[in-house]
Amino acid sequence: MLAYTVRRILVSIPVLIVSTFIVFLVVVNSGDPVANFATSRQPAPSKAAVTAFARHIHADQPVVERYWNWITGVLHGDWGPSVQTNLDIGHDLFTRFRVTVTLVAAAMLIALVLAVLFGVFSALRQYSAADYTITFFGFLFLAMPVFWFAVLLKQAGIWINEQTGSQFLGTIGEKSPYLDVDTGWNEFTDRIGHLVLPTITLALVSFASWTRYTRASMLEVLDSDYVRLARAKGLRRARVMTRHALRTALIPLATVTALDIAIILGGAVITETIFQWHGMGEMLVQAATTLDVYRTMAWLLLSAVVVIGFNLVADLLYAVLDPRIRYD
Amino acid sequence: MRAQSSALARGLTLAAGLTLILAACSSGGSGTPHQGGSAGLASCSTQGKANTCNSGTTKAGGTFTYVLEKNIQQWNVQDTNGNTFENGEALEVVLPQVFVPHPDFTVAVNTDLVTSATQTGASPQTLVYKINPKAAWNDGTPITADDFVYYWRTNDGKDCPPPPASDSTQTKGCLPQSTAGYDRIKSVTGSDGGKTVTVVMNKPFSDWKQLFGAGYPLYPAHVAEKLSGAKAGDAAHMTAAQLTQGWQYFQKTPPTKYATAGPYKMQEWVDNDHATYVPDPKWWGAKKASLQRLIFKVITDATQEPIALRNNEVQGIYPQPEVDLVNQVKDIPGVTYTIGNGLTWEHFDLNLHNPVLGKYTALRQAMFTAISIKDIVAKTVGQFDPAVKQLGNHNFVPGQAGYQDLVTSTGQGSGDLAKAKKLLTDAKFTGVGTALKTPDGKAVGPFNCRYTTGNQIRQSECQILQSDLGNLGVKVTIKPIGAADLGTVLAGHQYDIIVFAWVASPFPSANAQQTWMTGGGGNYGGYSDKQVDQLINQAVGETDQTKSAALLNQADKIMVDAAYVLPLYQKPTFLAAQTRFVNMRNNSTNVGPAYNTGEWGLKK
Repeated sequence: MLAYTVRRILVSIPVLIVSTFIVFLVVVNSGDPVANFATSRQPAPSKAAVTAFARHIHADQPVVERYWNWITGVLHGDWGPSVQTNLDIGHDLFTRFRVTVTLVAAAMLIALVLAVLFGVFSALRQYSAADYTITFFGFLFLAMPVFWFAVLLKQAGIWINEQTGSQFLGTIGEKSPYLDVDTGWNEFTDRIGHLVLPTITLALVSFASWTRYTRASMLEVLDSDYVRLARAKGLRRARVMTRHALRTALIPLATVTALDIAIILGGAVITETIFQWHGMGEMLVQAATTLDVYRTMAWLLLSAVVVIGFNLVADLLYAVLDPRIRYD
Repeated sequence: MRAQSSALARGLTLAAGLTLILAACSSGGSGTPHQGGSAGLASCSTQGKANTCNSGTTKAGGTFTYVLEKNIQQWNVQDTNGNTFENGEALEVVLPQVFVPHPDFTVAVNTDLVTSATQTGASPQTLVYKINPKAAWNDGTPITADDFVYYWRTNDGKDCPPPPASDSTQTKGCLPQSTAGYDRIKSVTGSDGGKTVTVVMNKPFSDWKQLFGAGYPLYPAHVAEKLSGAKAGDAAHMTAAQLTQGWQYFQKTPPTKYATAGPYKMQEWVDNDHATYVPDPKWWGAKKASLQRLIFKVITDATQEPIALRNNEVQGIYPQPEVDLVNQVKDIPGVTYTIGNGLTWEHFDLNLHNPVLGKYTALRQAMFTAISIKDIVAKTVGQFDPAVKQLGNHNFVPGQAGYQDLVTSTGQGSGDLAKAKKLLTDAKFTGVGTALKTPDGKAVGPFNCRYTTGNQIRQSECQILQSDLGNLGVKVTIKPIGAADLGTVLAGHQYDIIVFAWVASPFPSANAQQTWMTGGGGNYGGYSDKQVDQLINQAVGETDQTKSAALLNQADKIMVDAAYVLPLYQKPTFLAAQTRFVNMRNNSTNVGPAYNTGEWGLKK
């Protein structure tokens, strides 16, 4: 498995290089940040300032040279200059990555646990009222746009706060700017209070589709010969479900979860904007709207690494979940 | 067991559904009579009340969280890269300035910093500032003429020149947001132990009150001197390298780390999130800060501001108003708001680089006459602010001394189709009302009308223009611009007609130089008129403000006749705050509502 892992990582490197070059070309040609700088300020900047800005962001260099300087710079920890002159892109990227990881990890964990629980329950109670209810909500959450659901949840959060006379549920940011009584416990509950709504928003979209996968997969496994054999051998139902059926049924979910990381990161763009979390999603929006080439590239590179990494993890999980699969 | 599970599922379903329904229903208000529009800030729209509305005595304590719509990356607001509205607001809480623009568009001397600031001579123009004897930075260093000298020398464009081409980082030099005025100063000298500052100008400067302030406050010279190794109190002899060091330091360093001089001091800056201010015990000013804590919170999505206000996560917001946003705020209990007319004004620009538009003045006049600004207002901003009217000047807005309506009498913006057609017929255009052609038989148009994508108001403005010009026989196509591409389109002249906004200034002559003079940095459409250039130059050098305004209006009249830019209306501004706080006011100049944060506080 080690050889397989190393081989997969090595194959990923040229994929990353080619994809970043293509994206670099697209980003560089998607607008002119120098013209934007020259026209978006009042009073209009002097010619010296415009020239200095162009030099600062390397807009005076040929595209290929810029790409080469960028990619070699990244290898040395230099992520390139931002249109925001004092911004350290590397520091910004990893600070925001931590924020997004918190959100995405919490959302994925909740979505996975709920998806497995409800998916299995739905499969075991096929065509029951509970199954129909879970199916109904699954499709409802799938159909709802994230931004709309997020706004609705915010209103629900405010309503709960008003009814309880508290301010437990936060609608903006990862934490409050200050606490009246600054204790560790208060800080913990404050962070949890700010995590609830965006996590639910992000989790429910994935939960909806993952529940459907789990249900379908579980139904297929329950109908298989080896499960019937296990039951016929007199094994207890709980043991058959957990050791034999569920383990096999989780294989497709592992694939889907790994592949969905790109969708979840996409969902984080919207969630972070609405809940004003200063994570990777907000970074992409800011970079795109300010034509910040190197900041956009930093986002794309890290996202690509995460997606490739998760795909590799999914492949490796197959072997863990299914003893029949072996990598040479 | 199955029945129990179903009951559980039904219970959960019901609870979830109920919560969402209740939430949706609750967004319309909680039943408490809302006070928006009836108290507090509502009086700000009354004539003559702009500077005194929402006043009240305050009591000690409380936290007020005010929204900034952008992060601050660069802390030198005098620098061209740091010159942002948000940076100005964050810094004016802690750094002093001589003249401060007020909500009624006048400028008032900051008596906490200077006891007087006067022009004592006209030839050469001489300005004398008497610094308040108590004025000092909070590390105990007195504020003196040295701070003024440092300001002048970093902003004149000569003593601290721009970075050389050899500097790959482009950081070894000063790039002031404007050298206007500072480049005309001959000398800045101190007397009375540095507490009297005398400024002698090389050339007269009309807008002298914008020097050393007006949104661009003083930085502590002694901090720059110390870190650059210069002699203390001797900014006059700092080298370019030393001035640059200070300039760079103030770019990178939030004011938590150096001496400041305001009613509050910045206690904490969390990048991309918030600034926390607490009262500065060293503040010498007449009014002491009463809030326990003042917070500026970064919220970059304006649509989330009313929700945060409702949830009491912020107590004051200053977003660009839109119908939905205003209606949401109206429904929040305990919140007062005001819609004011700001210094930002919307306009249609014609690209005179287009051979047809550039050649025929009569065509441009007819196009502007056919456009109905009344319709535009009614279908856009008039929906939430019935007070919006056609703007009649390119340099002043109503409320500013010098404002004259020079546009309405010409019929431009009236939507008078008959008059527009007559202008064309008189100028020998053919196909009027069907397919317009120039006197030499060339087709007029089709023209594109460009607006920033996603801006519903500007899209509607282009649609109305399209319809109005269609009546003249001019075909217009509507072509949106990518959110970040406005600069590219303007600088590259990639438009025939474009709608966007300018920010007028309490100091209009320097603005006019940029926007209307031949080759000016903001003159994207290529307008050029020697007489206008001459009049604006005279206005800039005129020390009598009334005469300066008259010269600008003479230039404006010529510009109206040239029909290059059609002013539409002043963009409304919107300030909302909780009614338990007082003294916040809608200052729609470049300094924003934060111009008087020292007075904000809990209502007694």
